[in-house]
Amino acid sequence: MNIFLHELKSHRKSLLFWSIGVFLMVVSGMAKYAAYSSAGQSMNDLIADLPKSLRAVLGFNALDVSKISGYYGMLFLYLLLMATIHAAMLGATIIAKEERDKTSEFLFVKPVSRTTIITAKLLAAFTNIVVFNVVTFVSLLFFIGKYNSDGEAVNGDIALTMAGMFILQILFMVIGSALASVKRKTKTAPSLAASILLLSYMLSIVIDLNERMEGLKYLTPFKYFEAKNVMLGGGFERVYIIISIVLIIAFSTITYVFYKKRDLNV
Amino acid sequence: MNIFLHELKAYRKSLIIWSLSLLLIVVLFMSFYPSFAKDSEEFTKIMAGYPEAIRNALGVNLGNFFTILGFYCFPLSFITLCGAIQAMNLGTGIVSKEVREKTADFLLTKPVTRTTVLTSKLLAAFSVLVITTIVYITAASIMAFQVKTDDFSFKLFIMLSLTMFFVQLIFLAFGIIISVVVPKIKSVLTVSLATVFAFYFLGMFTEGAKRYFSPFNYFDTAFIIKNKSYEASFLIAGAIIIILAIAASYFVYAKKDIHSV
Repeated sequence: MNIFLHELKSHRKSLLFWSIGVFLMVVSGMAKYAAYSSAGQSMNDLIADLPKSLRAVLGFNALDVSKISGYYGMLFLYLLLMATIHAAMLGATIIAKEERDKTSEFLFVKPVSRTTIITAKLLAAFTNIVVFNVVTFVSLLFFIGKYNSDGEAVNGDIALTMAGMFILQILFMVIGSALASVKRKTKTAPSLAASILLLSYMLSIVIDLNERMEGLKYLTPFKYFEAKNVMLGGGFERVYIIISIVLIIAFSTITYVFYKKRDLNV
Repeated sequence: MNIFLHELKAYRKSLIIWSLSLLLIVVLFMSFYPSFAKDSEEFTKIMAGYPEAIRNALGVNLGNFFTILGFYCFPLSFITLCGAIQAMNLGTGIVSKEVREKTADFLLTKPVTRTTVLTSKLLAAFSVLVITTIVYITAASIMAFQVKTDDFSFKLFIMLSLTMFFVQLIFLAFGIIISVVVPKIKSVLTVSLATVFAFYFLGMFTEGAKRYFSPFNYFDTAFIIKNKSYEASFLIAGAIIIILAIAASYFVYAKKDIHSV
């Protein structure tokens, strides 16, 4: 419990900055919605005619950006990117920082098992992620409500996409922590986690750009809960939920197993 | 000179990894151009049907969009993002690592002034960025000549590619000033990723006079293609930021309290 509280405290400041960041992101993103909606007319038909690669280059999904739900679908990708960066770095840092700050000796001579320590740390990271997700959700509800002049029912969609974002946040958190416990030099774990994240983001863009790459979509988590599928296709696809859960369990197990046997650098 | 060479050596591995990644990204994206170009005529017809406001909001330049230069702007924005992360990492790390790795008292007791130390480090970081840019532009040009369907202005291509380098310089300066002002940076990556992405997102949602807020907005690719030149006011703004940040860094670093161990 002490470790849990200590970790919460040491990440308080960074969580605060991240929350402010995502809040500002929602504010500025929604402010730009005015520019889109003022174009006035629905572009659904036009966008539907566009080939997939052009849509990708222009940043459209299959969504109508002059409507608030469609615009949100576009904004969601950036929120997702931000949330997963936070989660991946957090997961890697929270494990790696003891060795980085040379406090591992202090911590690991305490009468608690390594499993307890990892559990406390992961729970603290999990709490941070929950807070980040809730801040995003609440600011979205508030600002979308403010700009939603047509009274579209979007809150259900927002809740659904936020649930998808939450799953990916956990996934990237455990990827980060698994890297930190497997790698001998923990210092490089956060950068490795970040590069894996950017790589999967790039991959998701490439898949949008070229039809032939479609088969690779299982490799990048950014394709699992895309706004357009979740909002237009009615919810999550089961296969992606299963993949995510399997990956999350696998990476958590890796974190525990490898950290238990880890040779700590002092 | 020793410090300069030492830093170059220390960053050799990261230089290779970054250059290769940028190279791979541009090769991957450019290899999609032929399939993209095929349907371009059909695209153009559809695009003309868009309302004016939407076209402007998206920054799509109708005439140029389907040329190889127009297509190139798309991967370029991601590559600039990656380049900015590299530069920011470099800037934030190169000075602060002495304190973090407890080598500051070793370095600063050598008979060289702090100004010399900082200059060598800056030059090393600058060289790393120059080498990355050269590798990147070479790869991008070869790729562009491979996949082109029409002739294009090579000068413009280079001008577009160089915008990445300019953005990198701005972020290098940001990184340096942050690393000398903040007493101790525990994790370089956290600082650099957060800063770069903050500016990236800020750049995405600002326009008009607010464009000055984000370095990612300083080089409007549509403007460069159309006018064959950079926007002077933004070049000046970028130069001022770099000069101010570097000058302030020298000033702060010369008097900075550096804790040993």
